[in-house]
Amino acid sequence: MASGAVTWRGAARRPGLGAALPLALSGFGLLALAVALARLGTPPTQPQPWLIGVLALLLLGVLGIRSAAQGESRAARVLPAAFTLLLTVLAVEVLLRTYGVPAGLIPTPSRVLTALWEARTVLLQDTFYTFVLEALLGFVVGTVVGLALALLVVRFRFLERGLLPYAALFSSVPIVALAPVVVKAVGLEWPSKMVVVAITVLFPVVVNAVRGLQAAQPLHLDLLHTYAASPAQTFRTVRVPTALPFVFNALKVGSTLALISAIVAEFFGTDGHGLGFRIQIEVGRFNLAVVWAAIVLASVVGLAFFGLISALERRFAPVPQEGQG
Amino acid sequence: MTAAPARGRLAGSPLLPMLAVLVVAVLLYLPLMLWANVGPAARALASGADLGCPTALACATQLRNPVLPAPGQLAQGFRSLSVPPTAPTSAPYNAVVTGGETLLGLVLATGLGLVLAALLVLSRSFERATLPWLVASQTVPIVAIAPMLAVLLGQYGVQGFLPKALIAAYIAFFPIAVGMSRGLRSPDALQLDLMRTYSASPGRVFFQLRLPASLPYLFTALKVAVTAALVGSIVAEISTISFSGLGKMLAENSRASDTIALWVIMAYGAGLGVSLVALVGLLERVVTPWRAGR
Repeated sequence: MASGAVTWRGAARRPGLGAALPLALSGFGLLALAVALARLGTPPTQPQPWLIGVLALLLLGVLGIRSAAQGESRAARVLPAAFTLLLTVLAVEVLLRTYGVPAGLIPTPSRVLTALWEARTVLLQDTFYTFVLEALLGFVVGTVVGLALALLVVRFRFLERGLLPYAALFSSVPIVALAPVVVKAVGLEWPSKMVVVAITVLFPVVVNAVRGLQAAQPLHLDLLHTYAASPAQTFRTVRVPTALPFVFNALKVGSTLALISAIVAEFFGTDGHGLGFRIQIEVGRFNLAVVWAAIVLASVVGLAFFGLISALERRFAPVPQEGQG
Repeated sequence: MTAAPARGRLAGSPLLPMLAVLVVAVLLYLPLMLWANVGPAARALASGADLGCPTALACATQLRNPVLPAPGQLAQGFRSLSVPPTAPTSAPYNAVVTGGETLLGLVLATGLGLVLAALLVLSRSFERATLPWLVASQTVPIVAIAPMLAVLLGQYGVQGFLPKALIAAYIAFFPIAVGMSRGLRSPDALQLDLMRTYSASPGRVFFQLRLPASLPYLFTALKVAVTAALVGSIVAEISTISFSGLGKMLAENSRASDTIALWVIMAYGAGLGVSLVALVGLLERVVTPWRAGR
């Protein structure tokens, strides 16, 4: 499990059998319970023993995850989260089957997976609309406009004092309240949702970029002054690097907001495409398996988006190590 | 960081530039409004509808559902939506309801965020096991969860105020947890070493060093979280069965295509958001007075 990339710290306490055995036992145990319940067909009359079994297996899994998370190896970074998800999903499946919760209230994970597979063409098309056309495009537009505004604000002192207070004010405005107005004004097709996303992303970018561009150390600026650097050189070598962490912070916030805004905006009217539309329609038909499938898809896409921004941040604006305690 | 406020003081009050920008925005609004409304007005006239005005340009300020409402229409909308402020259909009353849900949600989110942050800081394995899923929870579209959560909680007898506050808390806990865990990690090695020379127990280090050090981070996070919580409670009102709140008004007027009312409710939502942030700012001044100068 923990072969290959083991650093000096992980080498001392690498996750070995101590992690693998409880994790495997817990995972297979929960799987066996789920299969047994599926064979049984009807929910058991006495749920208590099943509940105790699930809790015991989960406890075992937590112990396994704990010891798997030791050290600095790649496995120690990835495995705990993966097993947390796996064990949680299995436990939810067993518990829902044990207590016979109707699918109209909470569908079991296996039903959700089936729905995800069966409705894949429709859901992928919806994801394309919601993510690529609305969230991603809106995110890019909002970021570009926000950065341009921030540059203007930093360049002209008058705008800084006159415009920035409004930007701060607008960033505390609930964007959802804006969505119906924009959808009514721009139309039902995807551009209206893109506009909502762009507005959502815009204000955090402006506020953070301005703060970042002004965060340059006076010492560094003086140093460049003594080098007789031109304003453009100062901007490129000092101001931009100091601003990047602030901007990436705003982009990370914006990346999670973008998808949610797109989905919420779809709530106020669409032309029949998008994950938000699908969710709303299927909730009305109590077809919750498809709803959860859409949610899973949205989460996966959102997480990938967030991961992409984080990777870009690590590449272009590495965060210095925080003081570890 | 210290240069910006000093420069701001030297540059004087921002009131005059803010006023100037406001005047420019108002002056730009009128032609924009006319431009946006002329099209629909012309279409309505061409279809033979009787709008009570001769030309499209004259009709632009009198459309029943304008794209951008004229100032007079907006003022009238404000009056009709807020005149008896205590009526259950008025915007101020509903804004208060939404604000209450938001604050309750914020309190719940703060509690949850504090616990999560403490666990994240104290246990590396907890962080590795859950942090990716805490991030993932932020990408889950809350609109979809809201009606299900309402039905689910209704099954167990929880109704009315609390489901919306729970949804608000769900949206708001993440910034608090992240901000707090950053704050709890903010004491540097020197301070931690000093505590060690005092042979302080881990509990004392936590309560006497880490917790006070995290307060500024907590309030920065709370300002973000309160906006998020407001969005959460509005969305919850839209998508669950509710009888009051700004979200319910938004949903009703969106269905009725009453755009003037939508603009008025939007303004109330904006005012609510700004005042909630101001409230957090006030609390920050009371709790951390040593930072009030910043």
